Amino acid sequence: MKAKSQYSRNRFLRRWKNMSLQQKLTGIFLLTSFIILAVNLYTYAVVNGMTGRVEEVYASNVRMNELSTALDRVQESTEDYLNTRSSESMEEYYRSEQDFREKIDMLNTEITDNEMLLAEKNIRGLSEDYLSLAADSIQAKRGRNVERYSELFDEATVLYEEIHTYIYSLNNEQFKDNSETYQILMDSLNYTELVTVAVLLVVFLGNISLIVVSTRMVTQPLHRLAESADEVARGNFEIEKIPVQSMDEVGVVTGAFNQMVESIRDYIEQLRETMERENQLKERELMMQSHLKDAQLKYLQAQINPHFLFNTLNAGAQLAMMEDADRTGEFLENVAGFFRYNVRKHDQDASLEEEIHLVDNYVYILNVRFAGEIHFTKDVDESLMDVRVPSMILQPLVENAVNYGIRGIDWEGRIELSVCRREKQISISIWDNGAGMEQERIRQVLAGEAREDERASGSNGVGIWNVMERLKLYFHGRAVLTIWSEGKNRGTEVQILIPDGQEDK
Amino acid sequence: MKSKKTWILISLPLIAMAVLLIFYRSGSRRRGGETGEYATYSRHYALITDEGDEDFWNDVYESALEKGKERGVYVERFGKNLAVDYDRNDLLDMAIRASVDGIIVEGDDEEETVSLIDSAVEQGIPVVTVLNDCIESRRQCFVGSNSYNIGQEYGRQILQMLPEGEGTVMVLTDESRTDSSQNLILLAIRETLAETLGDDNAVSVETRSIDGSRSFSAEESIRDIFLGDDLPDVLVCVNAVYTRCAYTAAVDYNQVGNVQILGYYNSDATLDAVSKNIVQATVGLDSAQLGELCVDALDEYVETGYTNGYMAVDIYVITPEEAEELMKEG
Repeated sequence: MKAKSQYSRNRFLRRWKNMSLQQKLTGIFLLTSFIILAVNLYTYAVVNGMTGRVEEVYASNVRMNELSTALDRVQESTEDYLNTRSSESMEEYYRSEQDFREKIDMLNTEITDNEMLLAEKNIRGLSEDYLSLAADSIQAKRGRNVERYSELFDEATVLYEEIHTYIYSLNNEQFKDNSETYQILMDSLNYTELVTVAVLLVVFLGNISLIVVSTRMVTQPLHRLAESADEVARGNFEIEKIPVQSMDEVGVVTGAFNQMVESIRDYIEQLRETMERENQLKERELMMQSHLKDAQLKYLQAQINPHFLFNTLNAGAQLAMMEDADRTGEFLENVAGFFRYNVRKHDQDASLEEEIHLVDNYVYILNVRFAGEIHFTKDVDESLMDVRVPSMILQPLVENAVNYGIRGIDWEGRIELSVCRREKQISISIWDNGAGMEQERIRQVLAGEAREDERASGSNGVGIWNVMERLKLYFHGRAVLTIWSEGKNRGTEVQILIPDGQEDK
Repeated sequence: MKSKKTWILISLPLIAMAVLLIFYRSGSRRRGGETGEYATYSRHYALITDEGDEDFWNDVYESALEKGKERGVYVERFGKNLAVDYDRNDLLDMAIRASVDGIIVEGDDEEETVSLIDSAVEQGIPVVTVLNDCIESRRQCFVGSNSYNIGQEYGRQILQMLPEGEGTVMVLTDESRTDSSQNLILLAIRETLAETLGDDNAVSVETRSIDGSRSFSAEESIRDIFLGDDLPDVLVCVNAVYTRCAYTAAVDYNQVGNVQILGYYNSDATLDAVSKNIVQATVGLDSAQLGELCVDALDEYVETGYTNGYMAVDIYVITPEEAEELMKEG
């Protein structure tokens, strides 16, 4: 039994879940309407039944009155016939006799302890006797038996009165009883009224709870969906999946919503992963680049490897000092200093002072080599001596100025080095009055296109391009190298602009 | 869990409604079922008596009714519920015309009664006379006591009341009664007294006819006795009504002790009076036995076509001591 009800309940729930929203709402309204209809019908039936019973209450009194009237008519018609012997009264007698007989046939014949029913039986017995007396008297009248018919009629009249008394008494008793029944019925009616009101109230409450429950069954998924949608709208995709309870429109929307949220979540996840991957790639790329640069720098610095030379020169300088060849000694010291710088500053930056000192060494060496042909002058802001720059940036430029500028000119060659502050920048300028440069050549040099040529021509190695690259790396691209030349034999100026101040490095 | 709650919410009003309806149904049945329930019987007897002496006749009727019901017979107190008070013979006539299955009637020796009883018997309706016979008629049976026996019992009681063997005794007789029963009672009283005290005894027994023709006239007549000078030593009442009138008057006129009352029948009021010694003794017939024997006689006749012509009912005497005990028994 329990399993059966459980089964039917489950079946109902399954069917409910598969209904569309419209079907559900229609179902709810139909159900409640049916309940109200049923209650109304019930009330109607109860009231109708009650009314019927109330109508029936005095039916027995009505019947008794009819019986009494019928009896009167029999008596009157009999008397009329005996008086007039007319055929009309005869007909009337037969009609009334028939009517009265029909009525007494409806009376009780059973012997019971119900006094009223017993009285009916007595009335019936008396009435039958009365009718036979009346018939006898009419018969006697026909036979002109005057004495007989008047005697019979007298007897019938006595009986008629007795029957009347009986009917009257019974009528009274019935009225008393009916009044009691009526009172009971009225009480019952009040009671019914109460019950009906109570039933209506209960049904009303039941209906309300039914509507509340069933509409909640319909709207709850919607409510949950709305809450989740609101949550999603606020940017939280980490919501639980809403259970799909039914296959109606809400169920479909819920399913779609779940799918959508999941898709969005997946998509966001994918996007994040992609971005992460890209970031990693970029990072690796950057690291590789920096490693490459480091390698390049090291390589470039390693191009100038003067260890052996430096040691040798030191030995030479010591020898010269022992032989008292002061100028040779000084020369060798300068040369040694030049190469020592290279060795020491191999992988570090240097101060501007150290760089300028190197340039001095270099120019001394060259002047010894070329018998004082190079007139080198300096205009240096002493406050900038501590500024850090990549090592080996000035010497290559001076070397270039010598090699491509003033070598081979037939006028006195001059090189000027100036270091000064200019609008939050430090300007380092190397100027020569040598051969000068074509604009096209300047462009090529700055673009690095002349690099292979330099190598090929057996230049000293560290060329302008190298200097440029190192400056860019060191100052994060904020250093500017510019070359000016007004044309052939009009001299060249190479200017480096680097940011002012240590913190800018 | 939640759905369980939902189901409870739905089913609760339905259950409430069902309970209400069941309650209502049973309620309306309980209320409506008071009328219309009755048992049916195979025979219909009519008990017809004169008016008056209601307590006595009610007892007779009740016992007859009970006895009848045991046998599938309904005994009707004929004419009881009618709006008009018909006399006994009218009722007898009506019962015959209504074709009852048997008639129990208090008899007398009037001609009309005799002819009515005879016509009933002619029509096949058995008739039993009760308490008083209708000796001339063709009634099937008489149930009652021999009036002579009752008279003897009265005589014995009078002897006890008048131990010195002298005094006056007044017997109240019903003027309207034409049968011989009262004469037999009187005769029996006199003979009983004579037997003990001799023929020339000093106890004078006289009769006083009470006019019962009009309603309430009996009571007036009895009061007249108490207002008169010739109050007897012993007052003999031959029916229950006279007994009640007599002792009420005795109390009202402060004659208790001055007049000794011999009552008839054992109604509660009479018993009370006997226990208080207002009435010195009461003589009666066993009313329950009376009713039962009537039904027995009719049944016997209807079933076998034959019955005894006379069925005797026990006579009892109740003294103050016995009355007290009877009242205690309730």
